[in-house]
Amino acid sequence: MIEVAGLRVVLPPDVVAVDGVDLVIRPGEFVVILGRSGAGKTTFLRALNRLVEPTAGDVRVGGRAVTGADPATLRALRRQIGMVFQQFNLVRRASVLDNVLAGRLGWAPALPTLFGHFPAEDRRIALECLAQVGLADFAQRRADTLSGGEQQRVAIARALAQSPAVILADEPTASLDPALTGSIMDLLKTIRARRGLTLVVSQHQLETALAYATRVVGFRQGRVVFDGPPAALSPAVASTIYAEEPRRSPQGGHP
Amino acid sequence: MLAWTAWDTGADPARFARGVPWIVDFLRRMLPPDLRVLPAALVGAIKTLEIALLGTAVAAVLALPLGFLSARNVAAPPVFHPARAALNFFRSVDTLVYALVFVAAVGLGPFPGVLAVVAYTTTSLAKLYSEAIEGIERGPVDAITATGATRLQVLRFGVLPQVLPLFLSYVLYRLETNIRAATVLGFVGAGGIGFYLQTYLRMIDYPAASTVLLVTVLMVMVVDAVSSRLRARLV
Repeated sequence: MIEVAGLRVVLPPDVVAVDGVDLVIRPGEFVVILGRSGAGKTTFLRALNRLVEPTAGDVRVGGRAVTGADPATLRALRRQIGMVFQQFNLVRRASVLDNVLAGRLGWAPALPTLFGHFPAEDRRIALECLAQVGLADFAQRRADTLSGGEQQRVAIARALAQSPAVILADEPTASLDPALTGSIMDLLKTIRARRGLTLVVSQHQLETALAYATRVVGFRQGRVVFDGPPAALSPAVASTIYAEEPRRSPQGGHP
Repeated sequence: MLAWTAWDTGADPARFARGVPWIVDFLRRMLPPDLRVLPAALVGAIKTLEIALLGTAVAAVLALPLGFLSARNVAAPPVFHPARAALNFFRSVDTLVYALVFVAAVGLGPFPGVLAVVAYTTTSLAKLYSEAIEGIERGPVDAITATGATRLQVLRFGVLPQVLPLFLSYVLYRLETNIRAATVLGFVGAGGIGFYLQTYLRMIDYPAASTVLLVTVLMVMVVDAVSSRLRARLV
């Protein structure tokens, strides 16, 4: 479903965030990208739909090249890649339903949407996705009146409204009360089971990764240092993933 | 330097003190207000309101594209820099100066007043808009981009909802200041209540002028009160 080859991302001024990653994610997998903060997880996920422009390497989703795609092709590809963010990234002043409807932007006729008009079918899909995350009664509420956990559910509904083949979730539980971690991860798990989605979720919590992933990919300093089922993740490997490392010099070498 | 400016402008407390009796005399001659000119003053006040309303409304729309073009985080540098420079240039000229230009161009009456309000307000609102756009949160913009939206859709759904309440608040604020500015547009022949004030002052009919002044003050106070209440609800 996702094929990554030789991916390298250098962020300005010259921070090597992703440093030569090769990874093939098969349809239906629940992949947890595990790593300390600053390990390059966020940049890796954002490079998959080119919210961050890769410096080198190839990304393919559903067999089509994301890297080098022209704007129209890129939009068509992004449409099938739902994204969930650590800070939810809802439009706070807009209603919950309008936030979810934004997930239909890639599908609805573009011109009418600029005037706020969406076809009835898109509205139906948005409401259905809202119901699926258990917030059907919140459609008309302003997004910023919801709790953090509820806002993240709205964000998941927005991603679902894209009818995506893949959902990328960047630390979806990191800004929430730890007690809510399970409910958000359960929701993602349920959605995957019901819709046959491929899920790529970044996490810094080992226990959560082990509990939900079908496959764990360990990141350290922009490189893959582990790739396998949760059962194969030994304490020794875990401590490698989480080990303190001296910061690399700007040139990318070790001081 | 302040001392020099005081000398150069001929600022002199004693001279001011000698002038105070004249101010008192002036005020005494304004009383009581001559209410027979009230209908004329009200007609002038309505004209002034119309000039400010129409001018602000047109400017609020014209400033939209300009605001986006002069926002650092939306426009590319080759667009942004000339747009910003143009805004700063045109904004440095006051409404009253524009009124002089437009009276010369299209003749006397409220119409050049509307044009003057449009000219100044468009650039000043565009500047405020662009600053609001530069202050938006990046997150929702990323999220809308990630759905496969076009650039215009990202502006419409990621940027506009964040800035629209601010825009409306700026427009209302501009409406308040434009009503104040429009009261003096009549002095240069650009219509409204200022025309009556100037006429009565020239005719040395101070009671009539004081009626016009009272109407002006009341109008500005009412509009300020309504507008600031609306603005409080927006934020």
